[in-house]
Amino acid sequence: MILRAGGYLTYYMPGRKKALRMRLPAARPLAEILTDLQIPLAEVDLVAVNRVLADLDVLVQDEDEVTIYSSVNGG
Amino acid sequence: MYGTSAKILRVDLTQREIRTEILPEDFYRLYPGGKALAGYILLNEMKAGVDPFSPENVLVIANGLLTGAPVSTATRYIVSARSPLTLGYGESEAGGFWGPELKMAGFEAVVVKGRASEPLYLWIHDGEAELKSASHLWGRLTAEVQEAIRAELGDEKIRVLQIGPAGEKLVRFAGLTNDLRHFNGRNGLGAVMGSKNLRAVAVRGSQRYQSFAADPEALMALGRKLAKGVKENPISWDLQDKGTLGIVEPMNAGGILPTRNFRQGAFEAVDEVKWDAYEKQLLTARRSCYACAVRCKREVAVNGRVSEYGGPEYETLGAFGPNCGISDLQAIAQANELCNAYMLDSISTGATISFAMECFEHGLLTLKDTGGIDLRFGNAQAMLAMVEMIARREGLGDLLAEGSRRAAEKIGGDAAFFAMQVKGQELAMHEPRGKYNVGMGYAISEIGADHLVVAHDTALVNPESLQFKGATALGITKALPARSFGREKMEHFYTLERWNSLEKVIGYCFFGPTPRSYIAVEDVITSINAASGWSLSVEDALLIGERATNMARIFNLREGFTRKDDTLPERLFQGLENGSLQGCALPRDEFEESLSILYALKGWDPQTGIPTSEKLRALSLDWAAVMLPQG
Repeated sequence: MILRAGGYLTYYMPGRKKALRMRLPAARPLAEILTDLQIPLAEVDLVAVNRVLADLDVLVQDEDEVTIYSSVNGG
Repeated sequence: MYGTSAKILRVDLTQREIRTEILPEDFYRLYPGGKALAGYILLNEMKAGVDPFSPENVLVIANGLLTGAPVSTATRYIVSARSPLTLGYGESEAGGFWGPELKMAGFEAVVVKGRASEPLYLWIHDGEAELKSASHLWGRLTAEVQEAIRAELGDEKIRVLQIGPAGEKLVRFAGLTNDLRHFNGRNGLGAVMGSKNLRAVAVRGSQRYQSFAADPEALMALGRKLAKGVKENPISWDLQDKGTLGIVEPMNAGGILPTRNFRQGAFEAVDEVKWDAYEKQLLTARRSCYACAVRCKREVAVNGRVSEYGGPEYETLGAFGPNCGISDLQAIAQANELCNAYMLDSISTGATISFAMECFEHGLLTLKDTGGIDLRFGNAQAMLAMVEMIARREGLGDLLAEGSRRAAEKIGGDAAFFAMQVKGQELAMHEPRGKYNVGMGYAISEIGADHLVVAHDTALVNPESLQFKGATALGITKALPARSFGREKMEHFYTLERWNSLEKVIGYCFFGPTPRSYIAVEDVITSINAASGWSLSVEDALLIGERATNMARIFNLREGFTRKDDTLPERLFQGLENGSLQGCALPRDEFEESLSILYALKGWDPQTGIPTSEKLRALSLDWAAVMLPQG
């Protein structure tokens, strides 16, 4: 899978990279993957899997492209 | 008195007289700069009903208590007058270097009255001030004027605050710029300055803020802590990394990216305008305001050359990009340059062009009206042509220079529906149908649709998030959905509005304090007390913010504003056409009910929105009671 971070979630990504390619031998809930990566779930406002909005408990497949977004504010 | 020189420079352009006034400490404690000082002066030194373009309008430029302090993001000053766009209390704040330089020159504020018989500029330097001819500067672009003033006065480090040709032409949303990159964009205050024949205020000073501070060591220690802390907080780190542009993609995903005049919440070409594209196509460097560790400013290349006007920020990109249906980043950057060279508010300019595009697509404006320009959504060249026509008041630009509300009245038909404005000021690039308190802020703000009234709803939806935890020190205890109204949500609003208003009084940027960014409530209070020698609590500080908001409210009530002006464009009560919030609309009944609740929380009559005598007393604003409408 490809995991992309939007907004300030890039801060929590390994190496502060915008995107990360991961091997997923089997489908896993996104929340578990993010927890393993030490990305705080409380800061995740939106999730998109293959550009379709989803929840943190969505099952992610190896071929998926997942984007997580922080909340967005003004200014 | 600490934290301030307490000196105001008073300029009468008609008489060509300048004098200095020193404020007493008991006064300054109630009105410690910025929005509070401006509100007091406007209420007490200008009568109701003054034509914004008459010599009787009073222009106030005011630093906050902390402006120029060695503390990250304490850079802001405000410009205030009766707004020609809204005809109400006018205010626009900016950062940069000009406010701190004014402080170093020995002044907290400049109050300008009258009208000069010929173009002038004001030159302030280390406790002295003089008026100089600006006839040779009139009509010239802002970069030329800055260079000319610095050359004339023989100092490249002079900070120049100025209007541009759009302000001279009295475009109702003309603004001011300092250093060509920092803008008092909103409310048309550049046109007020233009009406006074005042082109610029140049400043140079040699004092240091530490010489004003009660406890300079404590202030310096806090400054060091905040300089380090910016990289340790994901929100401020992100602002440093991407500037304000980092929100484009998440907003699109959330269905709250204003697109095609707020008809839609998602832009199909977002990949062409989001941060990744900006970074690749435009970015050349990152810059900062005075002593600010966040460094959210961006430098860009436009058509192969580095722009002297800085790069578009989110609001500008949103207004000329998705909201005009345009994905050409170079064109957006060019529009940003044009706005800054002529000195137009990029939000109102882009939003007014977006309004005109929708009128054009509905046949309310024709090729004859536009001078043959095909003013459809997505036409970048048409957008650029229209920016220049507005700035010069040429052709259709002369009508659009009046702002979307006045233009709609002239155009007639359904045009009023397409004018996305409140109190005459165009909406910023934030979609209320996904953030209800942003909508409430647009409605109730004294300056018209303003997006900086409160921290946006999305900051307070998760009790475990950093932003929510930051806000708990303000007394916020319960997370609430972004798309909700009601009593608890209005309690959020009431607290956050006082906090944001405090920032506008003391000189902090919206991108400094929590919950929007990284500076803790405790640190904000520490900075105020270290600078001033006072012992303010959080509640004391909130009261200062509330007092300022109430003075602005009283100004509007005195001008005849009523509850019906605290409203929103009709379109927002209808569903979004696309995106993840497709079909979502603001609930009208809940909005009206919540407005009454908010009035009551603020100590205002729940039906009329007029502050009660008890509230005025609590705010030490008894003197303003006679200014309120009777009955």
